[in-house]
Amino acid sequence: MPVYERGYRHWEPSGRAPAAPWWVIARRGILSPLKRRPFLLLLLLAWVPAVVKGTILYFSVQSGDLLKLLGGTWADVDAAGFFAFIERQDSFVMILLAIVGSPLIARDRAENGHALYFARPLTLFDYVAGKGLIALFYILVVTLAPVLLLAIYGYLVTSGATGFDMLLLTPLRATVFCLLTGASLSLVLLALSAAGRRTVFVVLGWLLLFSGTQIIARILSLFGGPWMRVFDFRAQYFHAGSVLFGASPRLDYPPLISWLLILGWTIGAWVFLRRRIRPVEVVS
Amino acid sequence: MGVQPDDVNTGCSAISVQSLNFAYVSAPVLTDVTFTLHPAAVGLLGPNGSGKTTLLRALLGHLPLPPAAVSVLGHDMALAGRVARSRLGWMPERGGLLPGMSGVAMVSYLGELAGMPARDALQRAHEVIDYVGLAEERYRPVQDYSQGMRQRIKLAQALVHDPAWLFLDEPTSGLDPKGRAAMLGLVRDLATQKGLGVIISTHLLADAQAVCSEILVLREGRLLAHERVAPAREGAQERFEIEGFGDETAFAERLRAAGATVARDGRFTVVSVPAGRGAAVILEAGAACGYAMRRMRRRAVTLSEHFLELVEG
Repeated sequence: MPVYERGYRHWEPSGRAPAAPWWVIARRGILSPLKRRPFLLLLLLAWVPAVVKGTILYFSVQSGDLLKLLGGTWADVDAAGFFAFIERQDSFVMILLAIVGSPLIARDRAENGHALYFARPLTLFDYVAGKGLIALFYILVVTLAPVLLLAIYGYLVTSGATGFDMLLLTPLRATVFCLLTGASLSLVLLALSAAGRRTVFVVLGWLLLFSGTQIIARILSLFGGPWMRVFDFRAQYFHAGSVLFGASPRLDYPPLISWLLILGWTIGAWVFLRRRIRPVEVVS
Repeated sequence: MGVQPDDVNTGCSAISVQSLNFAYVSAPVLTDVTFTLHPAAVGLLGPNGSGKTTLLRALLGHLPLPPAAVSVLGHDMALAGRVARSRLGWMPERGGLLPGMSGVAMVSYLGELAGMPARDALQRAHEVIDYVGLAEERYRPVQDYSQGMRQRIKLAQALVHDPAWLFLDEPTSGLDPKGRAAMLGLVRDLATQKGLGVIISTHLLADAQAVCSEILVLREGRLLAHERVAPAREGAQERFEIEGFGDETAFAERLRAAGATVARDGRFTVVSVPAGRGAAVILEAGAACGYAMRRMRRRAVTLSEHFLELVEG
Protein backbone atom coordinates (compact mmCIF):
# COMPACT_ATOMS: atom_id res chain seq x y z
CA MET A 1 0.00 0.00 0.00
CA PRO A 2 1.50 3.38 -0.95
CA VAL A 3 2.48 5.62 1.92
CA TYR A 4 -0.03 8.34 1.06
CA GLU A 5 -2.89 5.90 1.44
CA ARG A 6 -1.89 5.11 5.00
CA GLY A 7 -2.81 7.41 7.79
CA TYR A 8 -0.46 9.05 10.18
CA ARG A 9 -2.23 11.28 12.60
CA HIS A 10 -0.65 13.33 15.29
CA TRP A 11 -1.45 12.05 18.74
CA GLU A 12 -4.19 13.83 20.61
CA PRO A 13 -3.76 13.07 24.32
CA SER A 14 -6.89 11.64 25.92
CA GLY A 15 -6.21 13.43 29.19
CA ARG A 16 -5.76 10.21 31.16
CA ALA A 17 -2.84 10.22 33.59
CA PRO A 18 0.23 8.29 32.44
CA ALA A 19 1.78 5.72 34.76
CA ALA A 20 5.21 6.22 36.32
CA PRO A 21 7.91 4.66 34.11
CA TRP A 22 9.13 2.30 36.86
CA TRP A 23 5.60 0.98 37.27
CA VAL A 24 5.22 0.50 33.49
CA ILE A 25 8.41 -1.61 33.47
CA ALA A 26 7.43 -3.55 36.60
CA ARG A 27 3.87 -4.27 35.44
CA ARG A 28 4.98 -5.57 32.06
CA GLY A 29 7.72 -7.69 33.62
CA ILE A 30 5.42 -9.19 36.24
CA LEU A 31 2.62 -10.05 33.82
CA SER A 32 4.73 -11.45 30.97
CA PRO A 33 5.89 -14.68 32.69
CA LEU A 34 2.33 -15.43 33.83
CA LYS A 35 1.36 -16.10 30.21
CA ARG A 36 3.57 -19.19 30.22
CA ARG A 37 1.84 -22.29 31.53
CA PRO A 38 4.95 -24.04 32.90
CA PHE A 39 5.75 -20.94 34.88
CA LEU A 40 2.24 -20.84 36.32
CA LEU A 41 2.57 -24.49 37.33
CA LEU A 42 5.86 -23.69 39.05
CA LEU A 43 4.17 -20.88 40.97
CA LEU A 44 1.39 -23.24 42.02
CA LEU A 45 4.00 -25.79 43.10
CA ALA A 46 5.67 -23.10 45.22
CA TRP A 47 2.41 -22.78 47.15
CA VAL A 48 2.18 -26.48 47.95
CA PRO A 49 4.29 -26.14 51.14
CA ALA A 50 1.89 -23.45 52.35
CA VAL A 51 -1.06 -25.76 51.75
CA VAL A 52 0.77 -28.58 53.55
CA LYS A 53 1.60 -26.34 56.49
CA GLY A 54 -1.99 -25.13 56.64
CA THR A 55 -3.28 -28.69 56.61
CA ILE A 56 -0.86 -29.87 59.32
CA LEU A 57 -1.73 -26.80 61.36
CA TYR A 58 -5.41 -27.60 61.13
CA PHE A 59 -5.06 -31.25 62.10
CA SER A 60 -2.56 -30.54 64.88
CA VAL A 61 -5.14 -28.21 66.44
CA GLN A 62 -7.82 -30.88 66.01
CA SER A 63 -5.88 -33.94 67.08
CA GLY A 64 -3.62 -32.50 69.71
CA ASP A 65 0.00 -33.25 70.46
CA LEU A 66 0.58 -36.37 68.36
CA LEU A 67 0.36 -34.69 64.96
CA LYS A 68 2.11 -31.63 66.33
CA LEU A 69 4.99 -33.90 67.33
CA LEU A 70 5.06 -35.55 63.90
CA GLY A 71 4.72 -32.26 62.06
CA GLY A 72 7.78 -30.69 63.69
CA THR A 73 8.32 -27.06 62.62
CA TRP A 74 5.59 -27.52 60.01
CA ALA A 75 3.08 -27.46 62.85
CA ASP A 76 4.68 -24.53 64.68
CA VAL A 77 2.55 -21.42 64.69
CA ASP A 78 5.09 -19.20 66.40
CA ALA A 79 7.46 -16.74 64.67
CA ALA A 80 10.28 -19.30 64.49
CA GLY A 81 7.94 -21.75 62.75
CA PHE A 82 7.12 -19.19 60.07
CA PHE A 83 10.78 -18.30 59.73
CA ALA A 84 11.52 -21.98 59.07
CA PHE A 85 8.76 -21.95 56.47
CA ILE A 86 10.35 -18.99 54.64
CA GLU A 87 13.69 -20.79 54.78
CA ARG A 88 12.15 -23.85 53.14
CA GLN A 89 10.81 -21.70 50.29
CA ASP A 90 14.37 -20.88 49.37
CA SER A 91 14.68 -23.33 46.50
CA PHE A 92 11.54 -21.88 44.88
CA VAL A 93 13.00 -18.39 45.24
CA MET A 94 16.18 -19.58 43.55
CA ILE A 95 14.38 -21.23 40.62
CA LEU A 96 11.81 -18.48 40.08
CA LEU A 97 14.43 -15.76 40.10
CA ALA A 98 16.66 -17.74 37.76
CA ILE A 99 13.77 -17.86 35.29
CA VAL A 100 12.31 -14.39 35.74
CA GLY A 101 15.30 -12.36 36.85
CA SER A 102 18.22 -13.56 34.79
CA PRO A 103 17.18 -12.01 31.46
CA LEU A 104 15.95 -8.74 32.95
CA ILE A 105 19.00 -6.68 32.00
CA ALA A 106 21.11 -9.23 30.08
CA ARG A 107 18.55 -9.38 27.30
CA ASP A 108 18.34 -5.60 27.03
CA ARG A 109 22.12 -5.46 26.81
CA ALA A 110 22.23 -8.17 24.17
CA GLU A 111 19.63 -6.46 21.99
CA ASN A 112 20.69 -2.86 22.63
CA GLY A 113 17.37 -2.35 24.41
CA HIS A 114 18.91 0.37 26.56
CA ALA A 115 18.99 2.59 23.49
CA LEU A 116 15.21 2.38 23.38
CA TYR A 117 14.63 2.76 27.12
CA PHE A 118 16.90 5.74 27.59
CA ALA A 119 15.71 7.53 24.46
CA ARG A 120 12.57 8.01 26.58
CA PRO A 121 12.29 10.36 29.56
CA LEU A 122 13.54 7.65 31.87
CA THR A 123 16.06 7.78 34.72
CA LEU A 124 18.41 5.04 35.86
CA PHE A 125 16.31 4.80 39.03
CA ASP A 126 13.13 4.20 36.99
CA TYR A 127 14.83 1.44 35.06
CA VAL A 128 16.44 -0.34 38.02
CA ALA A 129 13.40 0.10 40.27
CA GLY A 130 11.10 -1.27 37.57
CA LYS A 131 13.30 -4.28 36.90
CA GLY A 132 13.98 -4.84 40.61
CA LEU A 133 10.27 -4.82 41.44
CA ILE A 134 9.73 -7.70 39.04
CA ALA A 135 12.19 -9.89 40.96
CA LEU A 136 10.91 -8.62 44.32
CA PHE A 137 7.32 -9.41 43.38
CA TYR A 138 8.08 -13.07 42.71
CA ILE A 139 10.13 -13.36 45.91
CA LEU A 140 7.22 -11.99 47.92
CA VAL A 141 4.66 -14.15 46.12
CA VAL A 142 6.30 -17.34 47.38
CA THR A 143 7.49 -16.11 50.79
CA LEU A 144 5.59 -13.21 52.30
CA ALA A 145 2.19 -13.83 50.71
CA PRO A 146 1.81 -17.42 52.05
CA VAL A 147 3.13 -16.36 55.47
CA LEU A 148 0.55 -13.58 55.73
CA LEU A 149 -2.26 -15.89 54.67
CA LEU A 150 -1.06 -18.65 57.02
CA ALA A 151 -0.86 -16.18 59.89
CA ILE A 152 -4.49 -15.19 59.42
CA TYR A 153 -5.45 -18.81 58.86
CA GLY A 154 -3.52 -19.91 61.98
CA TYR A 155 -5.25 -17.24 64.04
CA LEU A 156 -8.62 -18.48 62.84
CA VAL A 157 -8.04 -22.24 63.31
CA THR A 158 -6.60 -21.74 66.78
CA SER A 159 -9.63 -19.58 67.60
CA GLY A 160 -7.39 -16.68 68.47
CA ALA A 161 -5.22 -18.68 70.87
CA THR A 162 -2.10 -17.44 69.14
CA GLY A 163 -3.36 -13.93 69.74
CA PHE A 164 -1.65 -10.65 69.01
CA ASP A 165 1.67 -12.24 68.10
CA MET A 166 0.17 -14.26 65.26
CA LEU A 167 -1.98 -11.47 63.89
CA LEU A 168 0.45 -8.58 64.07
CA LEU A 169 4.01 -9.32 65.15
CA THR A 170 4.69 -12.36 62.97
CA PRO A 171 3.33 -10.72 59.81
CA LEU A 172 5.31 -7.60 60.65
CA ARG A 173 8.52 -9.54 61.17
CA ALA A 174 7.94 -11.48 57.97
CA THR A 175 7.20 -8.29 56.03
CA VAL A 176 10.38 -6.56 57.22
CA PHE A 177 12.50 -9.64 56.59
CA CYS A 178 11.06 -10.44 53.16
CA LEU A 179 11.22 -6.83 51.96
CA LEU A 180 14.82 -6.33 53.12
CA THR A 181 16.16 -9.63 51.86
CA GLY A 182 14.03 -9.40 48.72
CA ALA A 183 15.38 -5.96 47.86
CA SER A 184 18.93 -7.14 48.44
CA LEU A 185 18.48 -10.34 46.42
CA SER A 186 16.82 -8.39 43.61
CA LEU A 187 19.69 -5.93 43.36
CA VAL A 188 22.29 -8.72 43.40
CA LEU A 189 20.39 -10.57 40.70
CA LEU A 190 20.11 -7.42 38.56
CA ALA A 191 23.84 -6.83 38.96
CA LEU A 192 24.50 -10.38 37.79
CA SER A 193 22.13 -9.86 34.89
CA ALA A 194 23.90 -6.61 33.98
CA ALA A 195 27.25 -8.38 33.99
CA GLY A 196 26.51 -10.46 30.93
CA ARG A 197 24.62 -10.48 27.69
CA ARG A 198 23.77 -14.17 27.64
CA THR A 199 21.01 -15.27 29.96
CA VAL A 200 22.39 -18.77 30.34
CA PHE A 201 25.57 -17.45 31.96
CA VAL A 202 23.53 -15.27 34.30
CA VAL A 203 21.48 -18.34 35.33
CA LEU A 204 24.69 -20.29 35.98
CA GLY A 205 26.10 -17.40 38.00
CA TRP A 206 22.92 -17.18 40.04
CA LEU A 207 22.86 -20.90 40.78
CA LEU A 208 26.52 -20.78 41.74
CA LEU A 209 25.84 -17.87 44.07
CA PHE A 210 22.80 -19.51 45.63
CA SER A 211 23.86 -23.14 45.93
CA GLY A 212 27.51 -23.22 44.91
CA THR A 213 28.65 -20.86 47.67
CA GLN A 214 26.78 -23.01 50.19
CA ILE A 215 28.66 -26.13 49.12
CA ILE A 216 32.00 -24.33 48.96
CA ALA A 217 31.49 -22.69 52.38
CA ARG A 218 30.60 -26.01 53.98
CA ILE A 219 33.71 -27.68 52.58
CA LEU A 220 35.89 -24.76 53.67
CA SER A 221 34.39 -24.77 57.16
CA LEU A 222 35.57 -28.37 57.58
CA PHE A 223 39.14 -27.11 57.38
CA GLY A 224 38.97 -23.46 58.36
CA GLY A 225 36.34 -23.51 61.08
CA PRO A 226 32.84 -21.98 61.29
CA TRP A 227 33.99 -18.55 60.10
CA MET A 228 34.37 -20.02 56.64
CA ARG A 229 30.58 -19.96 56.44
CA VAL A 230 30.84 -16.24 55.62
CA PHE A 231 31.24 -17.47 52.04
CA ASP A 232 27.75 -18.98 52.13
CA PHE A 233 25.73 -16.30 50.32
CA ARG A 234 22.23 -17.41 51.16
CA ALA A 235 22.89 -18.48 54.75
CA GLN A 236 23.77 -14.89 55.67
CA TYR A 237 20.18 -13.80 55.07
CA PHE A 238 18.72 -16.44 57.39
CA HIS A 239 21.40 -15.94 60.00
CA ALA A 240 20.64 -12.21 59.97
CA GLY A 241 16.89 -12.90 59.93
CA SER A 242 17.06 -15.17 62.97
CA VAL A 243 17.40 -12.02 65.09
CA LEU A 244 14.16 -10.60 63.71
CA PHE A 245 12.19 -13.78 64.34
CA GLY A 246 13.77 -14.68 67.65
CA ALA A 247 14.85 -18.00 66.15
CA SER A 248 18.06 -19.88 66.88
CA PRO A 249 21.09 -18.50 64.97
CA ARG A 250 21.94 -20.37 61.78
CA LEU A 251 25.70 -19.79 61.94
CA ASP A 252 28.38 -19.68 64.62
CA TYR A 253 29.23 -15.99 64.58
CA PRO A 254 27.27 -12.84 65.51
CA PRO A 255 24.34 -12.07 63.15
CA LEU A 256 25.65 -8.51 62.88
CA ILE A 257 28.43 -9.87 60.65
CA SER A 258 25.79 -11.24 58.29
CA TRP A 259 23.90 -7.94 58.27
CA LEU A 260 27.13 -6.12 57.37
CA LEU A 261 27.96 -8.63 54.63
CA ILE A 262 24.48 -8.27 53.12
CA LEU A 263 24.71 -4.49 53.31
CA GLY A 264 28.13 -4.61 51.64
CA TRP A 265 27.17 -6.68 48.65
CA THR A 266 23.86 -4.87 48.22
CA ILE A 267 25.66 -1.53 47.99
CA GLY A 268 28.23 -3.18 45.72
CA ALA A 269 25.45 -4.40 43.43
CA TRP A 270 23.94 -0.91 43.22
CA VAL A 271 27.32 0.66 42.43
CA PHE A 272 27.92 -1.98 39.77
CA LEU A 273 24.51 -1.31 38.23
CA ARG A 274 25.20 2.42 38.12
CA ARG A 275 28.45 1.81 36.29
CA ARG A 276 27.02 -0.80 33.95
CA ILE A 277 23.81 0.93 32.86
CA ARG A 278 24.58 4.38 31.61
CA PRO A 279 21.97 6.57 30.04
CA VAL A 280 24.69 9.24 29.95
CA GLU A 281 28.24 8.34 29.07
CA VAL A 282 30.92 9.23 31.55
CA VAL A 283 34.18 10.57 30.21
CA SER A 284 37.27 10.57 32.36
CA MET B 1 2.81 16.27 23.96
CA GLY B 2 2.91 15.54 20.26
CA VAL B 3 3.99 18.09 17.74
CA GLN B 4 1.25 20.51 16.89
CA PRO B 5 1.06 22.15 13.48
CA ASP B 6 1.69 25.58 14.94
CA ASP B 7 4.92 24.32 16.55
CA VAL B 8 6.47 23.81 13.20
CA ASN B 9 8.88 26.46 12.00
CA THR B 10 8.96 28.28 15.29
CA GLY B 11 12.05 28.66 17.41
CA CYS B 12 10.75 26.04 19.85
CA SER B 13 10.83 23.38 17.18
CA ALA B 14 14.45 24.00 16.30
CA ILE B 15 17.64 22.18 17.15
CA SER B 16 20.57 24.40 17.96
CA VAL B 17 24.14 23.24 18.53
CA GLN B 18 26.72 25.83 19.58
CA SER B 19 30.45 25.14 19.65
CA LEU B 20 29.96 21.53 20.71
CA ASN B 21 33.13 19.70 21.66
CA PHE B 22 33.16 16.13 22.86
CA ALA B 23 35.96 13.68 23.49
CA TYR B 24 36.16 10.13 24.67
CA VAL B 25 39.02 9.34 27.03
CA SER B 26 41.71 10.64 24.73
CA ALA B 27 40.33 11.08 21.24
CA PRO B 28 38.23 14.10 20.28
CA VAL B 29 35.05 12.97 18.55
CA LEU B 30 33.26 16.27 17.95
CA THR B 31 35.13 19.54 17.55
CA ASP B 32 33.50 22.96 17.55
CA VAL B 33 30.29 21.80 15.88
CA THR B 34 27.75 24.58 15.35
CA PHE B 35 24.47 24.52 13.44
CA THR B 36 20.76 25.26 13.72
CA LEU B 37 18.05 23.09 12.21
CA HIS B 38 14.37 23.68 11.66
CA PRO B 39 11.99 20.78 11.02
CA ALA B 40 12.96 19.22 7.71
CA ALA B 41 14.59 16.06 6.44
CA VAL B 42 18.26 16.48 7.27
CA GLY B 43 20.95 14.07 6.14
CA LEU B 44 23.85 13.58 8.51
CA LEU B 45 26.68 12.44 6.28
CA GLY B 46 30.25 11.47 6.94
CA PRO B 47 32.69 8.61 6.62
CA ASN B 48 32.79 5.89 9.26
CA GLY B 49 34.08 7.26 12.55
CA SER B 50 33.31 10.85 11.65
CA GLY B 51 31.13 11.35 14.74
CA LYS B 52 27.64 10.96 13.28
CA THR B 53 26.26 8.62 15.94
CA THR B 54 27.96 10.60 18.71
CA LEU B 55 26.30 13.76 17.42
CA LEU B 56 22.91 12.04 17.47
CA ARG B 57 23.55 10.86 21.02
CA ALA B 58 24.44 14.41 21.97
CA LEU B 59 21.14 15.58 20.50
CA LEU B 60 19.38 12.95 22.63
CA GLY B 61 21.20 14.20 25.72
CA HIS B 62 23.02 10.90 26.16
CA LEU B 63 26.42 12.55 26.49
CA PRO B 64 27.68 14.80 29.27
CA LEU B 65 27.21 18.22 27.72
CA PRO B 66 28.22 21.70 28.79
CA PRO B 67 25.27 24.03 29.40
CA ALA B 68 23.79 25.76 26.34
CA ALA B 69 25.81 23.66 23.87
CA VAL B 70 22.83 21.67 22.61
CA SER B 71 19.28 22.97 22.63
CA VAL B 72 16.45 20.81 21.31
CA LEU B 73 12.86 22.08 21.10
CA GLY B 74 13.85 24.97 23.31
CA HIS B 75 15.31 22.71 26.03
CA ASP B 76 18.95 22.81 27.03
CA MET B 77 19.91 19.13 26.77
CA ALA B 78 22.48 19.49 29.56
CA LEU B 79 19.75 20.49 31.99
CA ALA B 80 16.39 19.33 30.65
CA GLY B 81 17.21 16.38 28.43
CA ARG B 82 14.46 14.24 29.93
CA VAL B 83 11.75 16.75 29.09
CA ALA B 84 12.95 17.05 25.50
CA ARG B 85 13.22 13.28 25.06
CA SER B 86 9.47 12.89 25.50
CA ARG B 87 9.21 14.61 22.09
CA LEU B 88 12.11 12.89 20.35
CA GLY B 89 12.07 9.59 18.50
CA TRP B 90 15.22 7.51 18.21
CA MET B 91 15.79 4.60 15.88
CA PRO B 92 19.15 3.00 16.63
CA GLU B 93 21.10 1.17 13.96
CA ARG B 94 22.14 -1.82 16.06
CA GLY B 95 19.62 -4.00 17.91
CA GLY B 96 16.85 -1.85 19.29
CA LEU B 97 14.30 -4.61 19.87
CA LEU B 98 12.76 -6.00 23.03
CA PRO B 99 12.58 -9.76 22.45
CA GLY B 100 9.75 -11.71 23.98
CA MET B 101 7.16 -9.14 22.98
CA SER B 102 4.91 -8.94 19.96
CA GLY B 103 5.30 -5.93 17.69
CA VAL B 104 2.27 -4.15 19.07
CA ALA B 105 3.18 -4.95 22.69
CA MET B 106 6.69 -3.57 22.23
CA VAL B 107 5.52 -0.37 20.56
CA SER B 108 2.77 0.33 23.10
CA TYR B 109 5.15 -0.46 26.00
CA LEU B 110 7.68 2.06 24.68
CA GLY B 111 4.86 4.54 24.13
CA GLU B 112 3.93 4.24 27.79
CA LEU B 113 7.55 4.74 28.77
CA ALA B 114 7.52 7.94 26.72
CA GLY B 115 4.73 9.22 28.97
CA MET B 116 1.57 8.07 27.21
CA PRO B 117 -1.40 6.65 29.13
CA ALA B 118 -1.71 2.87 28.57
CA ARG B 119 -4.85 3.04 26.44
CA ASP B 120 -3.53 5.88 24.27
CA ALA B 121 -0.25 4.01 23.80
CA LEU B 122 -2.02 0.85 22.66
CA GLN B 123 -4.23 2.75 20.23
CA ARG B 124 -1.26 4.69 18.84
CA ALA B 125 0.79 1.50 18.56
CA HIS B 126 -1.83 0.02 16.24
CA GLU B 127 -1.93 3.23 14.19
CA VAL B 128 1.81 3.56 13.68
CA ILE B 129 2.19 -0.16 12.97
CA ASP B 130 -0.42 0.24 10.23
CA TYR B 131 1.45 3.28 8.98
CA VAL B 132 4.80 1.49 8.68
CA GLY B 133 3.08 -1.41 6.92
CA LEU B 134 3.32 -4.12 9.54
CA ALA B 135 -0.40 -4.52 10.13
CA GLU B 136 -0.42 -8.24 9.32
CA GLU B 137 2.56 -8.98 11.55
CA ARG B 138 1.71 -6.96 14.60
CA TYR B 139 1.12 -9.95 16.89
CA ARG B 140 4.25 -11.86 15.89
CA PRO B 141 7.13 -11.86 18.38
CA VAL B 142 9.63 -9.24 17.28
CA GLN B 143 12.56 -11.66 17.46
CA ASP B 144 10.95 -13.60 14.58
CA TYR B 145 10.80 -10.53 12.31
CA SER B 146 12.85 -10.32 9.12
CA GLN B 147 15.42 -7.53 8.78
CA GLY B 148 12.99 -5.35 6.85
CA MET B 149 10.28 -5.85 9.46
CA ARG B 150 12.75 -5.08 12.23
CA GLN B 151 13.61 -1.75 10.66
CA ARG B 152 9.92 -0.94 10.30
CA ILE B 153 9.05 -1.82 13.88
CA LYS B 154 11.99 0.27 15.04
CA LEU B 155 10.55 3.18 13.07
CA ALA B 156 7.12 2.50 14.61
CA GLN B 157 8.50 2.61 18.16
CA ALA B 158 10.23 5.89 17.36
CA LEU B 159 6.92 7.33 16.12
CA VAL B 160 4.49 6.03 18.71
CA HIS B 161 4.60 9.05 21.02
CA ASP B 162 4.31 11.47 18.08
CA PRO B 163 7.74 13.07 18.35
CA ALA B 164 8.59 16.47 16.96
CA TRP B 165 11.97 15.19 15.77
CA LEU B 166 13.02 11.75 14.61
CA PHE B 167 16.64 10.66 14.76
CA LEU B 168 17.30 7.71 12.46
CA ASP B 169 20.64 5.94 12.54
CA GLU B 170 21.19 4.12 9.23
CA PRO B 171 17.46 3.41 8.70
CA THR B 172 17.98 1.46 5.47
CA SER B 173 20.76 -0.70 6.83
CA GLY B 174 20.35 -4.31 5.70
CA LEU B 175 17.25 -3.66 3.57
CA ASP B 176 16.70 -5.00 0.06
CA PRO B 177 15.97 -2.40 -2.68
CA LYS B 178 12.20 -2.69 -2.24
CA GLY B 179 12.41 -2.37 1.51
CA ARG B 180 14.80 0.52 1.17
CA ALA B 181 12.47 2.38 -1.16
CA ALA B 182 9.56 1.77 1.22
CA MET B 183 11.53 3.03 4.22
CA LEU B 184 12.66 6.14 2.36
CA GLY B 185 9.08 6.72 1.24
CA LEU B 186 7.95 6.69 4.87
CA VAL B 187 10.70 9.05 5.95
CA ARG B 188 9.95 11.44 3.09
CA ASP B 189 6.25 11.38 3.93
CA LEU B 190 6.93 12.13 7.59
CA ALA B 191 9.17 15.06 6.80
CA THR B 192 7.23 16.61 3.96
CA GLN B 193 3.60 15.80 4.75
CA LYS B 194 3.46 15.30 8.50
CA GLY B 195 5.66 18.18 9.65
CA LEU B 196 8.19 16.11 11.58
CA GLY B 197 11.85 17.00 11.67
CA VAL B 198 13.95 14.02 10.63
CA ILE B 199 17.69 13.59 10.95
CA ILE B 200 19.03 10.61 9.02
CA SER B 201 22.52 9.48 9.79
CA THR B 202 23.70 7.53 6.79
CA HIS B 203 26.70 6.75 4.71
CA LEU B 204 24.45 5.97 1.72
CA LEU B 205 24.44 9.24 -0.18
CA ALA B 206 21.64 8.07 -2.42
CA ASP B 207 19.39 7.82 0.64
CA ALA B 208 20.16 11.37 1.65
CA GLN B 209 19.69 12.56 -1.91
CA ALA B 210 16.34 10.80 -2.18
CA VAL B 211 14.86 12.17 1.02
CA CYS B 212 16.73 15.11 2.49
CA SER B 213 16.36 18.79 1.87
CA GLU B 214 19.45 19.63 3.93
CA ILE B 215 22.71 17.91 4.70
CA LEU B 216 25.24 18.14 7.49
CA VAL B 217 28.64 16.77 6.51
CA LEU B 218 31.03 15.65 9.24
CA ARG B 219 34.64 14.62 8.92
CA GLU B 220 36.78 13.69 11.91
CA GLY B 221 34.27 15.34 14.21
CA ARG B 222 34.24 18.67 12.39
CA LEU B 223 31.23 20.05 10.58
CA LEU B 224 32.39 20.61 7.01
CA ALA B 225 29.12 21.74 5.50
CA HIS B 226 25.52 22.52 6.31
CA GLU B 227 23.76 23.01 3.01
CA ARG B 228 20.49 22.55 1.25
CA VAL B 229 20.58 19.44 -0.87
CA ALA B 230 19.31 21.04 -4.10
CA PRO B 231 22.21 23.51 -4.44
CA ALA B 232 24.63 20.82 -3.40
CA ARG B 233 23.27 18.47 -6.05
CA GLU B 234 23.00 21.00 -8.82
CA GLY B 235 26.15 22.76 -7.81
CA ALA B 236 26.79 25.16 -4.96
CA GLN B 237 29.62 25.28 -7.39
CA GLU B 238 28.59 25.21 -11.03
CA ARG B 239 30.71 22.85 -13.06
CA PHE B 240 31.53 22.95 -16.78
CA GLU B 241 33.29 20.62 -19.17
CA ILE B 242 35.35 22.48 -21.76
CA GLU B 243 37.10 21.25 -24.84
CA GLY B 244 39.22 23.69 -26.89
CA PHE B 245 42.66 24.67 -28.07
CA GLY B 246 45.14 27.40 -27.24
CA ASP B 247 47.29 28.20 -24.23
CA GLU B 248 45.69 25.96 -21.66
CA THR B 249 48.10 26.93 -18.89
CA ALA B 250 47.30 30.62 -19.22
CA PHE B 251 43.58 29.83 -19.47
CA ALA B 252 43.72 27.77 -16.30
CA GLU B 253 45.66 30.45 -14.45
CA ARG B 254 43.13 33.12 -15.41
CA LEU B 255 40.30 30.92 -14.25
CA ARG B 256 41.99 30.24 -10.92
CA ALA B 257 42.58 33.96 -10.48
CA ALA B 258 38.83 34.43 -10.95
CA GLY B 259 38.11 31.97 -8.14
CA ALA B 260 37.44 28.87 -10.22
CA THR B 261 38.81 25.37 -9.73
CA VAL B 262 40.38 23.74 -12.75
CA ALA B 263 41.05 20.04 -13.33
CA ARG B 264 41.70 17.73 -16.26
CA ASP B 265 39.37 14.85 -17.04
CA GLY B 266 40.64 13.10 -20.16
CA ARG B 267 40.38 15.52 -23.05
CA PHE B 268 38.18 17.88 -21.07
CA THR B 269 39.10 20.75 -18.81
CA VAL B 270 36.68 20.64 -15.88
CA VAL B 271 36.03 24.06 -14.38
CA SER B 272 34.08 24.65 -11.19
CA VAL B 273 32.96 28.21 -10.60
CA PRO B 274 31.07 29.67 -7.65
CA ALA B 275 27.31 29.41 -8.12
CA GLY B 276 25.71 32.43 -9.78
CA ARG B 277 28.76 33.52 -11.77
CA GLY B 278 28.04 30.95 -14.46
CA ALA B 279 29.74 30.69 -17.82
CA ALA B 280 30.61 34.37 -18.01
CA VAL B 281 33.78 33.85 -15.97
CA ILE B 282 34.94 31.14 -18.35
CA LEU B 283 34.15 33.09 -21.49
CA GLU B 284 35.97 36.15 -20.15
CA ALA B 285 39.04 34.07 -19.28
CA GLY B 286 39.05 32.40 -22.68
CA ALA B 287 38.75 35.74 -24.49
CA ALA B 288 41.52 37.30 -22.40
CA CYS B 289 44.12 34.65 -23.21
CA GLY B 290 42.99 33.65 -26.68
CA TYR B 291 41.77 30.20 -25.79
CA ALA B 292 39.29 28.95 -28.38
CA MET B 293 36.52 26.80 -27.02
CA ARG B 294 35.10 24.12 -29.24
CA ARG B 295 32.64 22.81 -26.70
CA MET B 296 31.41 23.93 -23.28
CA ARG B 297 28.84 21.91 -21.39
CA ARG B 298 27.36 22.21 -17.90
CA ARG B 299 28.00 19.08 -15.84
CA ALA B 300 25.70 18.22 -12.94
CA VAL B 301 27.46 17.83 -9.62
CA THR B 302 26.14 14.74 -7.85
CA LEU B 303 25.83 14.64 -4.10
CA SER B 304 28.48 11.93 -4.12
CA GLU B 305 30.94 14.19 -5.92
CA HIS B 306 30.13 17.07 -3.64
CA PHE B 307 30.49 14.87 -0.58
CA LEU B 308 33.84 13.51 -1.76
CA GLU B 309 35.08 17.01 -2.44
CA LEU B 310 34.12 18.01 1.08
CA VAL B 311 35.52 15.05 2.97
CA GLU B 312 38.66 14.72 0.91
CA GLY B 313 39.32 18.43 1.14
